[in-house]
Amino acid sequence: MTLRLSLLVSVGRNPVSGAPRACRNDVAALEIARSLPGDLTVLHAGRADNPGLTDYLAHGAGKIEVVPAKAESDIIAALADRLAGSDLILCGSRAEDGEESGMLPYLVAERLKLPLVGQVLSLSVIGDQAEITQFLPKGARRLVRVALPAVICIHPMAPVQPRYAFARKQAGKIVELAPAAGSLTSPWRTEPATRAPIKFKAHKKEAGHSRMHSAIAPASKSGEVLIEGNNAEKAQAILAYLRKYRLTDH
Amino acid sequence: MQDTSIPRRNPRRPATLTTAGIKRIVLGQQGEGSVIGSLSGQHADAPKPVRLAVEPTSAILAVVHSERGALDGQAQQVIAAAALLADAATAVVAVIFGELTEDVAVWGADRVIVIPAESWQPDHELACLRAAIARFQPRHTLFPDSAMGGGDLGRRLAAIEGDAAAHIAELSTDGVAVRRHGGRVTAKRGLPKILLLAPDIVDPALPFLGQAEETAMSLPFETPARIVDLGRQAVSAAELPLEEADFILSAGNGVTDIPTFLALADAFGAAVGASRVAVDDGKFPRAKQIGATGKTVSASVYMAIGISGAIQHLQGIKACRHVIALNSDASAPIVKRADLTIVADAHQVMRHLLSQITEPGRNDMEDRL
Repeated sequence: MTLRLSLLVSVGRNPVSGAPRACRNDVAALEIARSLPGDLTVLHAGRADNPGLTDYLAHGAGKIEVVPAKAESDIIAALADRLAGSDLILCGSRAEDGEESGMLPYLVAERLKLPLVGQVLSLSVIGDQAEITQFLPKGARRLVRVALPAVICIHPMAPVQPRYAFARKQAGKIVELAPAAGSLTSPWRTEPATRAPIKFKAHKKEAGHSRMHSAIAPASKSGEVLIEGNNAEKAQAILAYLRKYRLTDH
Repeated sequence: MQDTSIPRRNPRRPATLTTAGIKRIVLGQQGEGSVIGSLSGQHADAPKPVRLAVEPTSAILAVVHSERGALDGQAQQVIAAAALLADAATAVVAVIFGELTEDVAVWGADRVIVIPAESWQPDHELACLRAAIARFQPRHTLFPDSAMGGGDLGRRLAAIEGDAAAHIAELSTDGVAVRRHGGRVTAKRGLPKILLLAPDIVDPALPFLGQAEETAMSLPFETPARIVDLGRQAVSAAELPLEEADFILSAGNGVTDIPTFLALADAFGAAVGASRVAVDDGKFPRAKQIGATGKTVSASVYMAIGISGAIQHLQGIKACRHVIALNSDASAPIVKRADLTIVADAHQVMRHLLSQITEPGRNDMEDRL
């Protein structure tokens, strides 16, 4: 049985020139999808004539199916219809352009009632299960096993080396599917970003004297200082501190 | 010449300081009394009031994950944000996955629910969270929008419940704002039910305390998991980039015995860093430099050995949680930043530390002589 792989891609934007391009995270997901055995379907919701999509062809997508969609279309329903029956649905963690909420894979997984694993660095498929290495902060990694079918979000730091080939870009095809229906109303109102965000903080009623004090007071108090004792005791004090906050296994 | 219509008042007459930090003169006293409490330390000693005075009628949930019993900065900000959003009759319920050894009253939590989470079971965590939501019927549920933990669990809940905002860049009692289209567009709306807060959008310094009552909750049974956690994989600290490392041992000008230093780093499983002077001397490669011209690190433990702590170096370790300094100079600037300072010869203490780690049962008596 061949694995039915689906990949969801979005179009990013060059942060300097503003030109449309492939989203870096989705290119990493494409590279991982290409390394797995199976039939790959690459899906995009948006405009088929977006020049950023051809970058995925250059990276080896072969054929991209586009669900024509506008901002208010219900793309989750349209994508879920096309994705039903996939064994493995891959995507990036967050788009570079557009809403950028990182919600889409979760909504797709909830619609299809599939398990979702995020922050994936690498995966291998063994039978009807996938073995996954997950990214954790502070240099930690976690091994996870999930039963297929599943939704997998690839971490931007996945160790892959994408290669761009002009010949593949010329040979690839972009086909349009039936447009996404629906007209969702959004509670959001948009405006150009003109100022930096303001921090949410407590409103304090203070006398001028105490405001002055907090402005000139040192930001942090110094901690414990150990001067007395011999070197063995001092070494012991360091270990005791580390053990107290459970920062070491020793 | 004393006969004027303006009464003369002594600006230094006795006064007290209210809990809000406002100076109030003591009426009826004119003498040369001092202000109660001196300029230094009087504000730190003023006790903060407890925010919730009445029996709460509604709730706001703050859902965070702890790491080794402690909450990271973003988790603290999320609980504080819930306390700032809450009105006089609203309780802040902190739902903490993992164990907790910290006092969460300072971040404004009124009720604390600790749910054990040894392994990663997203379906079970979601079931526990939905049980808490069913019990408290919160107006809002707040998460830290972190890579794992809150960001993942919050989106799972948002996919089911809807009405959510992720990557919130600005929060106020009126609504939220997020950045879209690569930061060129701001989108605003009123407060949704589920809020995922980006880091550093809230100042966690509160002028009040929470009640921090530990509350027990009956948890749903664990169902057969679709996702199985096979455990964490240790990555050698030496292979990690410094920015990602959790435990950093850093050497400065005071370290001349590099092999002992490297052996100690190896024994702790720590990444190796260095100050600018040590790098300039050629003892360490440039990639190991920490500070303004080097790397900015965010480790849980930063052990500075033989580092005086120039301001440029302290910039690089701003985000570190526990700083331990080992230095021969008790007046070095690093002492002000460090949580624990050992004033001693760095090499002697390093050797003792190394022997105590590698041979924990050994008696150190012979070394003392």
